[in-house]
Amino acid sequence: MSDAIATRLPSEADAASALARFGEMSADLQGAAIVDAAGSVLAATGDRDAWGRAATELLAAADAVAPGLAARAHVGTEDGEAFALRHGGLGIVAVAERFTLASLMLFDMRSVVRDLVSPAAANGPAQGAGSS
Amino acid sequence: MKAHRLFLDRVTGYADEAAAYLRRRRLTRKPFARVWWEGGRGEALEADSEAGRALFLAAAHLIAAARLDGGMAKGGSS
Repeated sequence: MSDAIATRLPSEADAASALARFGEMSADLQGAAIVDAAGSVLAATGDRDAWGRAATELLAAADAVAPGLAARAHVGTEDGEAFALRHGGLGIVAVAERFTLASLMLFDMRSVVRDLVSPAAANGPAQGAGSS
Repeated sequence: MKAHRLFLDRVTGYADEAAAYLRRRRLTRKPFARVWWEGGRGEALEADSEAGRALFLAAAHLIAAARLDGGMAKGGSS
């Protein structure tokens, strides 16, 4: 992907703050996790092991579709919607209620990770868009 | 008929149409999986393909992890 790889890994505290902000932005969000390039969980809304395994599995399944790393994936099921997105060497996965607006969810995910990768951007003008 | 009644009837009609559209969408929408790569290339996966099955299975595990959380409102970031 063309996104710059994060020059420094964000701290777990920063990642946890980013997830909390994500939860405030996205009303339909049910849970999420941020992982590094190796698949280690930086922050999760629940059990880190369960989220880590599931995040790695979803990103790997998306990568297996075609050569190259997948930039994002969206799977809609009858139980909810799963999203995965890579940016700046980090990955973020999220689960939302059915029929959530996918474009807004992906926008919020990208915004959260972008702010995490380059904290200076987070101090600028508001960049998030709430999804409801 | 008074003008405001006409206006209300029209708004109610639009709302009914929108509600019916959403009901149809919920009933007819099938599970799907889509993957995108850098540059905007994307691909929709069939549920009966090998890659599609893997994506649906992984998504189910992710949704199960979220269910274990009990919802964002209760859970804080760890």
